[in-house]
Amino acid sequence: MDRLTRTGVAALQAASVLVLLGVWEAVARAGWVDPLFVPAPSAVAGAFARMGHGALAALGDTLVKTAIAYALSVVLGVGFGIALGSVRVLREVASPFVIALYGMPKILVLPWIMLLLGFGTAPAILYGTIHGFFPILVLVAGGVRDVDRTLVSVGRAFGAGTWQLYWKVILPAIVPTVLAGMRLGIVFCLLGVLIVEMFAGVRGMGHVLNSLANGFQAAELFAATALVSAASIAIVLGLDALNERLSHWRS
Amino acid sequence: MTRVVALRAAILVASLAAWEIGARAANPLLYVPPSAVVPALGRLLTLDSYPDLPASLLLTLREIVIAYALAIAAGLGVGAALGLNRLAGRVYGPIVAALYAVPAVVWYPSLMLFFGLDAASKIAFGFLLGFFPITLAVLAGIRQVSPHLIAVARAFGARPTAVFVKVMMPAMLFTLVGGLRTGLALAVIGVIVGEILGSKAGMGTLINHAYGLFRTSDYVALVCVTLVLIVGSDAVASLVERRARRWTD
Amino acid sequence: MSDLIAVDRVGKRYQTSSGPVEALRDVSLPVGAGEFCTLIGPSGCGKSTLLGMIGGLVVPDDGRVLVDGRPVTGPDPTRVATVFQDPGLFPWRTTLENVEFGLELQGVTRERRRAVATELLGPLGLRDFGAKYPRELSGGMRQRVAIGRALAIDTPIVLMDEPFGALDEQTRLLMGEWLLDIWRRTRKTVVFVTHSLHEALALSTRVVVMTARPGRIKSVLDLPMPYPRAMESSEMVALRATLWSGIRDESLRAMGER
Repeated sequence: MDRLTRTGVAALQAASVLVLLGVWEAVARAGWVDPLFVPAPSAVAGAFARMGHGALAALGDTLVKTAIAYALSVVLGVGFGIALGSVRVLREVASPFVIALYGMPKILVLPWIMLLLGFGTAPAILYGTIHGFFPILVLVAGGVRDVDRTLVSVGRAFGAGTWQLYWKVILPAIVPTVLAGMRLGIVFCLLGVLIVEMFAGVRGMGHVLNSLANGFQAAELFAATALVSAASIAIVLGLDALNERLSHWRS
Repeated sequence: MTRVVALRAAILVASLAAWEIGARAANPLLYVPPSAVVPALGRLLTLDSYPDLPASLLLTLREIVIAYALAIAAGLGVGAALGLNRLAGRVYGPIVAALYAVPAVVWYPSLMLFFGLDAASKIAFGFLLGFFPITLAVLAGIRQVSPHLIAVARAFGARPTAVFVKVMMPAMLFTLVGGLRTGLALAVIGVIVGEILGSKAGMGTLINHAYGLFRTSDYVALVCVTLVLIVGSDAVASLVERRARRWTD
Repeated sequence: MSDLIAVDRVGKRYQTSSGPVEALRDVSLPVGAGEFCTLIGPSGCGKSTLLGMIGGLVVPDDGRVLVDGRPVTGPDPTRVATVFQDPGLFPWRTTLENVEFGLELQGVTRERRRAVATELLGPLGLRDFGAKYPRELSGGMRQRVAIGRALAIDTPIVLMDEPFGALDEQTRLLMGEWLLDIWRRTRKTVVFVTHSLHEALALSTRVVVMTARPGRIKSVLDLPMPYPRAMESSEMVALRATLWSGIRDESLRAMGER
């Protein structure tokens, strides 16, 4: 069994998916499920073709908002994370507040944000930023705090000033943690943007999914869901690959 | 009082003060100063503003409990199946991990389509959110059991069931409980997000109602009550985790 | 008196990433009841594999192993107990609970298990440590618990695979003395694997020297002397030289292979 190669595993996965789709198609055609709720894969594929342009535009809209929110949460998260991780007093004082805010379901403040900022792009970006900011902050702060003391001592012993210490020792050392935080953050940002679009949006994939559900357009809904899922998985896999390229010195 | 605690208290007080002053100056209705929240809470707890409060709270709690129970059952089952069978784990483990990379809220409209606006869709969503961390924790837990301990057990004549119950389960308890705790937190969030995004009853509905009618202070009060529910459930989970940690460390 | 353990022309081959490896070839070894039989030899000579075969954890490719006249098909906790180099204590169990483990698997009642384990604490030198967890014990203590676990099921045969290998020299010497004391009191049959010449000579009634891979039996040394042994006596010094000369060549051969 250990001789199962990566291609072997991939083949089995693909085969499993195909079998699942096949069974699903057969069940749908046999009329065992209500096509209103569970469309056949062929219907979903058809819906894909019809929706195509509109869906991609909506996806693009969502991704743009996500990108902006992501950039903001990375900059703020890494910045504050380094600050919190470096200054012990700051960290100790802020710790319970950060934990409380991190653990609080942000959705509870969403209605309030909508009241303040109305509909449109701003609340989506703000909410997405909030969503992505906290995990990155916590991860980076932890990473800075846990930098191997030996490395710092070596840096100091060779006469590195504070600025050099950060630039040449601490920053490179926390790259893996930052990357891990960034990988986590993208999913959270996307999640935040989608939630706002679903809650009270007029554009974007979240809104599209909601309308399709309300309109009982099952096939289109499944197609749109598959589209967003595929985009999300692709982005995360892309970040993972980037992560590996940049962390090759760790293995 | 140490310096740190004093600083924290100072920050808390300063924030509340700034919020109070700023909100009153700008727009008290919109920005809800703390002084408006307290009477709103009072009205809420006396069931004045929302007589439905206990029923809604109970419903939300019920949804959470059912969603979590289902997540545990499915999570343990799938996690054990993937963890004990090496082939299944290698093939399907990555698929589970990949699905975890999708923001769960994309499944919600499909769930609403299928289950409608009733409790069922909230339970389904909470289940979906809670299921993944539990499954992944069971998988990770089984993987980190020392093969030597399993060999020792076999040397003393343990059959496969005895190996699983007497060696694997205690060995992975720590990881498992961590996953169960995350699973609970996510199941709670799932139910609440589900309610806020579209429901007919439950705490989320009340929150939406207040928001829709611009009853901002009532809305804040409702959020506070919901927060108590959330923090309470996590506190219980954290207690259980601590006891398990003491036992297995 | 027929032999308690009869290893009959066993062979074992493994598939490794660098090709097939023959661990044991045509090894036969009778062990009588009450013996303390030590297997010694260079690394990779198959002594642990041989022990694994007696314990039912390794299946021979050729030949067979008989214990008490019956062929070994798997672990038999009614006849054979094993102690490994890594004590393998369950970290979530106290000393007493770890010692009871084998009895628990055999369905012995709680009171009886507890009584047996508690009684063993004395000879194990762990009388005050019954409620402690492995992380609170030193390496030597943990190994004593592992040995206690093996003794608790009261098997006629106890196998030990370099049980003191991970301990420092001073602890090793003390553990050896202690083990000898236990063995003489319980009259079990022990098959003991070690790298240490001192242990082989101080503890055994018989020393079996194995060759480098593929492992075969090179020579057998009978040690009928009484216990405790005066290791500095001229007789022992001479024996040690004999033993070492037998092993040294094999060790060099094993190293040359690498």
